[in-house]
Amino acid sequence: MKSAKFDHQRAASLDDALKALGNADGEARIMGGGQSLGPMMNLRLAQPDLLIDISRVGGLDGIEVSGDVIRVGARVTHARVEDGEVPGVTGAYMQTVASGISYRSVRNRGTIGGSVAHADPSADWPSALLALGGDVVIAGQDGERRMPLDDFQVGPFATGLGFEEILTGFELPALSDSAKCGYYKVNRKPGEFADAIGAVVIGVSPRVVCGATEAAPFRVSVAEEKLAAGATEISVADARDMIAVHEPGFDDYDLQIHAVALSRAVGRAFA
Amino acid sequence: MTELTLKINGEDVTADVETRLSLADFIRDHRRLTGTHLGCEHGVCGACTVLMNGEPVRSCITFAVVADGTEITTIEGFEDDDPMTLLRQAFHENHALQCGYCTPGMLVAARDIVTRLPDADEDRVRLELAGNLCRCTGYVGIVNAILSVIEKRRL
Amino acid sequence: MADGGTTEGKGIGARVLRKEDWRHLAGKAKFTGDFQRPGQKEMAFVRSEVAHARIVSVTKPAGFESSVFTAKDMPDMQPMRAPSKMPGYKGADYPALAIGKVRFVGEPVAVCIADTRAEAEDLAQATLVEFGELPAVVDMLAAKAGDAPLIHEDWGDNLVMETFADDDFGKIADRATVVVKREYRMARHAMNPMEGRAVFAEWDDRTDQLMMWTSTQVPHLIRTGLAQFLGLEQRQVRVIAPDVGGGFGCKALLQPEEVIAGWLTRHLEVPVRWIEDRREHLVTGANCREHHYFVTIHATPEGRILGLDCDVTIDAGAYSVYPFTNGLEGAMAHGNLPGPYDIEVYRCRTQTMTTNKPPLMPYRGVARPGVCYAMEMTIDALARDIGVEAHDIRTMSMVKQEQLPFMSIAKKHFDSGDYAKSVEMVVDMIGLDKIRSEQISANGEGRLVGVGMGSFVEQTAHGTSVFASWGVAMVPGYEQATVRLTPDGGLELRIGVQSHGQGMETSMAQMAYEVLGIDPSQVTVTHGDTGLTPYSTGTYASRSMVMAGGATARACRVLAERMEIIAAHLLQCERAEVTVRGGKIVSGKGEVSFAEIGRVWYLNPDELPDDVDQGGIEVTMGYRPEPDSGAFTYASHACKVAVDIDTGEVEVLDYAIVEDCGTMVNPMIVEGQTYGGATQGIGTALLEESTYDSFGNPGASTFADYMMPGATDAPHYRIDHMESPSPFTEYGIKGMGEGGTIPTPAAIGNAINDALKTIGAEVTETPFTPRRVRAAIAAANKNRQGDAA
Repeated sequence: MKSAKFDHQRAASLDDALKALGNADGEARIMGGGQSLGPMMNLRLAQPDLLIDISRVGGLDGIEVSGDVIRVGARVTHARVEDGEVPGVTGAYMQTVASGISYRSVRNRGTIGGSVAHADPSADWPSALLALGGDVVIAGQDGERRMPLDDFQVGPFATGLGFEEILTGFELPALSDSAKCGYYKVNRKPGEFADAIGAVVIGVSPRVVCGATEAAPFRVSVAEEKLAAGATEISVADARDMIAVHEPGFDDYDLQIHAVALSRAVGRAFA
Repeated sequence: MTELTLKINGEDVTADVETRLSLADFIRDHRRLTGTHLGCEHGVCGACTVLMNGEPVRSCITFAVVADGTEITTIEGFEDDDPMTLLRQAFHENHALQCGYCTPGMLVAARDIVTRLPDADEDRVRLELAGNLCRCTGYVGIVNAILSVIEKRRL
Repeated sequence: MADGGTTEGKGIGARVLRKEDWRHLAGKAKFTGDFQRPGQKEMAFVRSEVAHARIVSVTKPAGFESSVFTAKDMPDMQPMRAPSKMPGYKGADYPALAIGKVRFVGEPVAVCIADTRAEAEDLAQATLVEFGELPAVVDMLAAKAGDAPLIHEDWGDNLVMETFADDDFGKIADRATVVVKREYRMARHAMNPMEGRAVFAEWDDRTDQLMMWTSTQVPHLIRTGLAQFLGLEQRQVRVIAPDVGGGFGCKALLQPEEVIAGWLTRHLEVPVRWIEDRREHLVTGANCREHHYFVTIHATPEGRILGLDCDVTIDAGAYSVYPFTNGLEGAMAHGNLPGPYDIEVYRCRTQTMTTNKPPLMPYRGVARPGVCYAMEMTIDALARDIGVEAHDIRTMSMVKQEQLPFMSIAKKHFDSGDYAKSVEMVVDMIGLDKIRSEQISANGEGRLVGVGMGSFVEQTAHGTSVFASWGVAMVPGYEQATVRLTPDGGLELRIGVQSHGQGMETSMAQMAYEVLGIDPSQVTVTHGDTGLTPYSTGTYASRSMVMAGGATARACRVLAERMEIIAAHLLQCERAEVTVRGGKIVSGKGEVSFAEIGRVWYLNPDELPDDVDQGGIEVTMGYRPEPDSGAFTYASHACKVAVDIDTGEVEVLDYAIVEDCGTMVNPMIVEGQTYGGATQGIGTALLEESTYDSFGNPGASTFADYMMPGATDAPHYRIDHMESPSPFTEYGIKGMGEGGTIPTPAAIGNAINDALKTIGAEVTETPFTPRRVRAAIAAANKNRQGDAA
């Protein structure tokens, strides 16, 4: 179980990486921590021609607060988030999410940007950050642009990232002390990918996400309206109805565990 | 081929390696440090766990070229390391190994637990061990050994 | 007469810490994958991507034709053949590389060699196989259909073997007025030792031998098989099992890759290495446990079991494996289904079916986790039906202590113990009464708590008569051990069994200590090398401690006698005045050290007495218990689980074990084996499953899809021991390597069903995944609504 051949380029700077991406023949992949790509390449499920290693690109691993925005660099590892480096209520929420991702030895290498760019629907960050809201920061040949998390992931392993673009970080809301957050994951074992995710962030307005589906994570509008109207809990039965509207393809079990995840995430937000 | 310079167990190493070579295979086949084991090669079982710059990482899903400029510590490199000395003795006394295949990765993970989480209780130790599979022991001896070292380090 | 010396507590019964630990803790152990030679080639396989097909063509990558081999390139390599004399048995030869047809996904079609594994995999990826697909038989029950596709055309059907027992149920009809019937399934899974299979082979021109280091439990059998299928004489083959990272059964058989590695190194004259990766293991090693049951228990209204009626189907996969065949599982199921129960009538039919899946192999417990699960789950269903505690049914129906030795209805010769007492003890340990009151006070919402148990009796170390009756390619006989005193008074102990986690380098040294009083640190145990150890059928069937331990004791006793003759002469006293004790030969006139004996025999033979045994201080002795029908270990496990009604998730809250493996040589090792076995049982019960789609494509080829029990899945076990020595074995030892796995699926399944009893739901298929638990609840809800309507 060894990776197919590929060319490897260590990018010294973001420009370097973008240039390499632009000049690449065949499939080029950006690698940060490599914790998603590594297994897929060993299994030869991914066989890129060129791997652009951005693990030394400066400026992508910062965490800074400016006003009501927290900027989190793409190369910030899950372990740093787990260890509380992101401040405030937002940080506490993200800490909960990070500590449940895979295992510590993977969290030490795996990055938040890599996870979101990889866009595995059963991974944590795509759902968790969608509930938080905010923007993805993207660098391209023509400079930097921002894209709302709401629009970023378009399907399983599919995002709004262009072929010659690199995800460089996130601008996330710095939640106030009165904000409420809840995250609940149904999975078979600690560290395994999720079978269902419920993510709830009640900041300026409630955002409720159903994740770990066959498609991209999605916001559950009826649940958001109900919470906006003052509800402090959502029953599993109600959650089933709310989710079924968005995901008519779920079988009974999948609908059930996604409803449970949503219901319990709300429960945790108000605990 | 790509040139690679790093430190393994305190020794400076320079090598020319194929880009697709995993850090684990570099350690095992090129450096002949065979204490690091491969159990799944997709980052789940933990047998290949080594320290990179002092933190445990999966050497099976980390390409060797990525380790350029880092300091790697494998199971062979803990000779004078106090937590590891305690862990080895505790693993021995608590029958924390049978076939021994998972043991090197387990010890590296255990060292991270006892140093990073000095207050961990049994539930926390089990949770932190979720990324290291053992097929033989049922984890009884491993958990007991780690708890005993945590206790000892408190004194 | 030697009386050893237990004053320092290092013999039988002592918790001696393991001698083998330090090399593993230091990272200095030597596994097969650690071997490397200049110029070696790595092997990678082109494996079938379809479950059933004719091979139309194989196109090798241009320019690399001489690095890729198919069966056509290796005409002198024979398919592996595993005979059996079991009536009606149809065994299919297992070609190491597919010949003409493939019969499961993962079957080796071609082998590629290159300087690195990655390059060998490049060749495998570039080799194109054109398949003419045939309809696949994926499910064992579907395999029985008259119009099912045939996997082996010349058979006429897909039946490997049938066994029958048929009693007259009329004689219990008036008393057995309660009849409970259930259907169960146990999923196929993979054994998953953390070290997969691995082989390193080279030809040694000096000795003109094929040297094979391989990760195996049975080096001598590998040698016999390799010689047979490669057309070599056995003296031309030496097999060494270095450190082996777990086996659990899948390394107790000759593997295609071993045969191929032998052929390649012999013909290409280069060393070759193959290291199984996890995907290969999960795909080609999905080879165990898959059973289906219809079970009917006939009992009195009080719950005394009188009759058992069962139809068992076993999914044996595509081929027969060397040497055990894929028919043993059926025979074992048949013989072990009635468990420790004293029943009057038994009807059983087992049907072993061939399917387009990897060949069935004997996994720790072999058939008994399945039969115990089917039997014990039905007992609890009976208990729920008649409103009694299941443990009362067990104690009432088990063979009683005073009946032992006892020939069971399935012709198992139980030796010693008190089965019912293990039940009573474990019920006490788990705190049944307390859990019952908890259940009443709980409101039934959210999490439901349940308690369940499972009991078994396990035939271990069964010998010649048992295997001869199956007529398989290997029949164990007298197990041998060789002991040799070194010139400086140390002891070399050589055994033909193989230790791969069981700690035999320690426990066998304890046996030597028991007889000779020599410190285990002065004993070197050599195992796993056909060039150095007596022939043995190897490590399987929980036999090594009983068999090789018994042989070690006997060899040590003869060695002691021979040393006493020399010592008596050196001390100038009568033979009767000296005795081996505490690692010395002592008498009233003084003492002689083992080193002194070694010095005299090897270096100063002029000091030897005339009546010295000319065999010297090296002894080989054989041992077989009489009768050799097995030592019967037994145990009862009980557990408490919580079922999350909303998600179907099950958490094991508490787990209690009472086991009796006769005399314990090293209780620490006994406990370690039991915990490890039980955790594999938890895998079977809750997590592990090799899934297939309707075309026979495996769905669990990585640890992301195949769930292994981790530290959070294993409970904090509690264990208590009983110790009923077997009257038939040396020191009363019984085998115990497998037992921990056997009752776990039953205990957990029973606990889940106990939790679900208020809603009338039952799980009947392992693993009891959240999805299956939810389905059971949904089915019960539907039933209730149906009843209400």
